[in-house]
Amino acid sequence: MIPRHAQITIALLLVGACILGFYVLNEKHKAEEQQRLVADTRPVTPPVAGTPQRVVLVIAYDGEGVLRRREATVVLPEDRALRAREVLRALLNEYVKKPSPHPLAEGSDIKDVYLFQGNLAVIDTTAAFADAHRSGIYVESLTIASMVDTLAANVPGITRVKILVEGKERETLAGHADLMSFYDVATVRELVKEMQ
Amino acid sequence: MRTSHLLSKTRLAGLLLALAVLWLGAEVSHSAEEKQVSVYAPQTSYRLAVVERERREYVGLVALLEPLGTVSASTAGTEWTVRWNGVEARFTEGKSKGKIRGKKVDLSAPLVVENGRPLVPLHSLAMLLSRFLDTRVDVHEAARRVFIGNTGTRFTTELKQGNPPALVLSFSAPVSPAISTEGGRLKMVFARDPVVSAAENFSFQDKTISTLTYDESRGTAELTVSGSAPLLASFSNGGRTITVSVAPTQPAHAQTPPPVPSGGPPASQSPGKAVAPSGQGSEAPAELPRSRYLVVVDASHGGNERGAELGKGIAEKDVTLAFARRIRTELQNRGITTVMVRDGDTALALQQRAEMANAAHAALFLTIHAGTMGSGVRVYSSMLPPSAAASVAFLPWETAQARYVDSSHAMADGITLQLGRRRVPAESLEAPVRPLNNIAAAAVAIEVNVPASDPRAFHSPNFQLNVAGAVADAVLAARTRQEASR
Repeated sequence: MIPRHAQITIALLLVGACILGFYVLNEKHKAEEQQRLVADTRPVTPPVAGTPQRVVLVIAYDGEGVLRRREATVVLPEDRALRAREVLRALLNEYVKKPSPHPLAEGSDIKDVYLFQGNLAVIDTTAAFADAHRSGIYVESLTIASMVDTLAANVPGITRVKILVEGKERETLAGHADLMSFYDVATVRELVKEMQ
Repeated sequence: MRTSHLLSKTRLAGLLLALAVLWLGAEVSHSAEEKQVSVYAPQTSYRLAVVERERREYVGLVALLEPLGTVSASTAGTEWTVRWNGVEARFTEGKSKGKIRGKKVDLSAPLVVENGRPLVPLHSLAMLLSRFLDTRVDVHEAARRVFIGNTGTRFTTELKQGNPPALVLSFSAPVSPAISTEGGRLKMVFARDPVVSAAENFSFQDKTISTLTYDESRGTAELTVSGSAPLLASFSNGGRTITVSVAPTQPAHAQTPPPVPSGGPPASQSPGKAVAPSGQGSEAPAELPRSRYLVVVDASHGGNERGAELGKGIAEKDVTLAFARRIRTELQNRGITTVMVRDGDTALALQQRAEMANAAHAALFLTIHAGTMGSGVRVYSSMLPPSAAASVAFLPWETAQARYVDSSHAMADGITLQLGRRRVPAESLEAPVRPLNNIAAAAVAIEVNVPASDPRAFHSPNFQLNVAGAVADAVLAARTRQEASR
């Protein structure tokens, strides 16, 4: 027969051990997450040789379902294609960071932008950009309009835009927005006006 | 005399030259055609490229076995060892003799190695697969079709007499053919389904639907229904039943059907649970002469493709189907012939949806979507610039909508107006919604929205009825305008 006071002591010790265990486990997870972030060498903002310049980002705000223009400072190179890529990366960076006005998944990025004949821009995006994009006509249209208008606002002369995923054509962004078409900048501007 | 002799010589030379060119052209097109063999197994079906080496047809051994299990291949000099699910086979490059499961086998031609891949003769597929899999394998070599185990999908036919009659094809398993129509012929091509038939010709004692022919070649099976009137196929019973019936008639004064876009695949109808025009018999109470005005209603998403998650376990695919059915009812109540692209939980590619609308020569394509950004209805039409091009036989697939974009904008505005009259918040927008650009008819996407906090509002009968009623009113008004202008 174990005395009552001993039973209480053992129970308290067990509860204490459990609490301590949970605390240690939690700290371990935190440390692992920090290590993972440190080890994550993916470039958030790539090293670019250029000068800081003011650019216009056309940002989607899901809460109100609108697009708004906002100025930002981005390091831009001289080359038009690189400039286009950096502007779009700055835009997606707004969407990837938390909290975000228009959340995109981690890893959503611009791999490259190719310019053809001076007026056609082909944007190559990462798989995460499309694979993890939220599904819906309006939310997908916000993303497309935001990207196309941001590009056109900062790289003069672009009249048509095509979006690829990992270098390949994809039928839709997330089940709705057409990625097979070439986007006419003037028509997208009309959509942007409707969405402002 | 001499001149005529010379002439005949010249003619003969010309004829020989023409024949040579024709023969060369046929040879070139024959060699350019990519040969494939279809393999049907209980767990999967797939196609393999067939290559010709020294006038014999070969397929890759690893590619043949890979979809059926775990396969590995290793080589030591000219000796090849292939392992499939623990079964070992040994072959030697340039030799036709080998061993599978330790027993000697004879290939019909020597093993060829190309780009580090062992190739085996097509003629030996039945023997090889039966030894590897230890099961019965049937090879239809001329048609390049391989059946593993008891995988054949058989069908029965029944002609339902009536006015008009309908041919019901019942399959032993769900099928998903590509369907194309041309006049009174309806062709179903089964590329992935192991459809087989003991008979090649079926005759029916009917003038409207007279024959059904079965043919298999180049890795596919084809069923062709011939009749005296344009035919339409519809699917039911989870894809196990195809009903071929007469397409809705078009009076002589009716508008010429729009051309079918080209550049994409051939026009075909949905292999899912698409239904035939319901309400064909309904008459509209109008004084104007009735013309064919077919509306194709597309409940977006379906099957594994759930669409947007609308909260509380509600998937977009279910909401769109509910609204599509309601819209169909409202359209039929107004005497408008309506076809649903899907009337069940069926997965269909966007391309198939567009193909179905184009093959049916729809006057209007309505694709229904749902979302939780805001509340009310957004009506989208294509962003393509209008094209004033004259009527042509073929349209580019990606811009097929351009000729109809003005009608689409007008329809979007009409629906928005009618929704406003019913006090449903609505706006019309031009947005990049797939597959609007591929539709050769007026086409709009209707997105119904409720706040994310209250997704159950999608199920409100009043909301559904208001939206469906407004859409049907707008369609009726458009049809009336079209008939009045004629």
